[in-house]
Amino acid sequence: MSTLLEKHIVELLQERNEKAISLLYEHYGDTLFGVANKVVRNNELAQDVLQESFVKIWKKSDSYDPSKAKLFTWLFRITRNTAIDKLRSVNTKKDKEIQIDVSDVYNLGVDHIKPELIDTHENLEKIEAKYRVVLEALFFMGMTQQEASDELDIPLGTIKSRLKIGLRELRKIYGPTAIIASILSLV
Amino acid sequence: MKEKIKNFLDSDLIEKYLLENTTQEETLQVERYIAMYPEVQKTYDELQNNLESFAKMHAVTTPDGVKEKIIARIRGERAGRKKFFQYAIAASVTALLFAVASVFFYQQNQNLQEENVAVTNKIETLKQDMNSQLEDMRRQFIVLNNPQTKKLNVNGNRKAKELKAVAYINPVKKLSYINVSKLPNLPENQCYQMWTEVNGKMVNLGIIKESKNQDELFALPYGKQAVSYITIEPEGGNNVPTVENIVANFAF
Repeated sequence: MSTLLEKHIVELLQERNEKAISLLYEHYGDTLFGVANKVVRNNELAQDVLQESFVKIWKKSDSYDPSKAKLFTWLFRITRNTAIDKLRSVNTKKDKEIQIDVSDVYNLGVDHIKPELIDTHENLEKIEAKYRVVLEALFFMGMTQQEASDELDIPLGTIKSRLKIGLRELRKIYGPTAIIASILSLV
Repeated sequence: MKEKIKNFLDSDLIEKYLLENTTQEETLQVERYIAMYPEVQKTYDELQNNLESFAKMHAVTTPDGVKEKIIARIRGERAGRKKFFQYAIAASVTALLFAVASVFFYQQNQNLQEENVAVTNKIETLKQDMNSQLEDMRRQFIVLNNPQTKKLNVNGNRKAKELKAVAYINPVKKLSYINVSKLPNLPENQCYQMWTEVNGKMVNLGIIKESKNQDELFALPYGKQAVSYITIEPEGGNNVPTVENIVANFAF
């Protein structure tokens, strides 16, 4: 994603030009859909989240401040928060449904992960699982480092260091040499 | 200073900020650090890039039709907003019309109230006028119709030989009237004025104009041994009678 394109999209957003949403969807749609999927773990719900997120992005477009965050960071925050809210509301609903009818319990959950959600990206495999788990917990699950520490039963200090190392691993994969390597592999 | 930055970077504040998990106070702190220290800015930028990279690894192809749904919803939003503004404008115009109409009706109401007061006052004055005139008529009738009423012909002296008047005096009802039927012409700057001396006091009865109606009667204050005078005075009347200009006098 070039900075030029980002700037163009931001300008269109500020002009409230509908084309901005179209461009955002083309360039970030799949990634944001992936984020939504990671959080809610249900394809249909993730579609709802994606739709709601884009409507929010459109409504909040004048609140985006390029000096405070990159465009993707802003989009990611909106999508992740929308997904977490959705998950909470569905869970609340689910809790109520359990009270009414026990047979509805399987409405949502890990069992329902669809094949297309299973990660096929090779790059992810390059990050050691112990780092990946920490990154996912923090980026997608909406956990704080303390919560991740409790949830994963890993000391807080280890969470912090794994986060840093995990991010460093990412840099290795996506560093300039890695990009050239991936281009070469395509050729 | 280095220590301070290191401590800041070692804390998870910047990671929390990246995911918008900071409190308002923490947000301000992080933004201050980012603005002040290039190392912090660099770390923040790296984190943002890493987040984007990590998220991209999880990209999932969006199903067909979602984009169209999103565009349709956004258009709906815009139409809703447009409609809202249209309604807002319509409401504003209506409110303005009401305001203008209210001011107009308020002023009209004020005018009508003022007019109402004026009309009421006028009616009241007319009523009083009418009552006093009726009362006067009644008295005149009593005087003229009473057998005990004395009729007194008043003639002018040599200064006003043509002056003719008739006075009616009723000692029982204690009423007296005078009818001035003929007044000699006077220069424009002079007028006739009537006086009565009652109980030693000179009472000004006002300026006499030749009656348009020959039968008009003027009431005189009644007093035993009252003497009435008609004098020629400067135009507009005088406060005291000019004795040398007495043109007629009569006693009853």
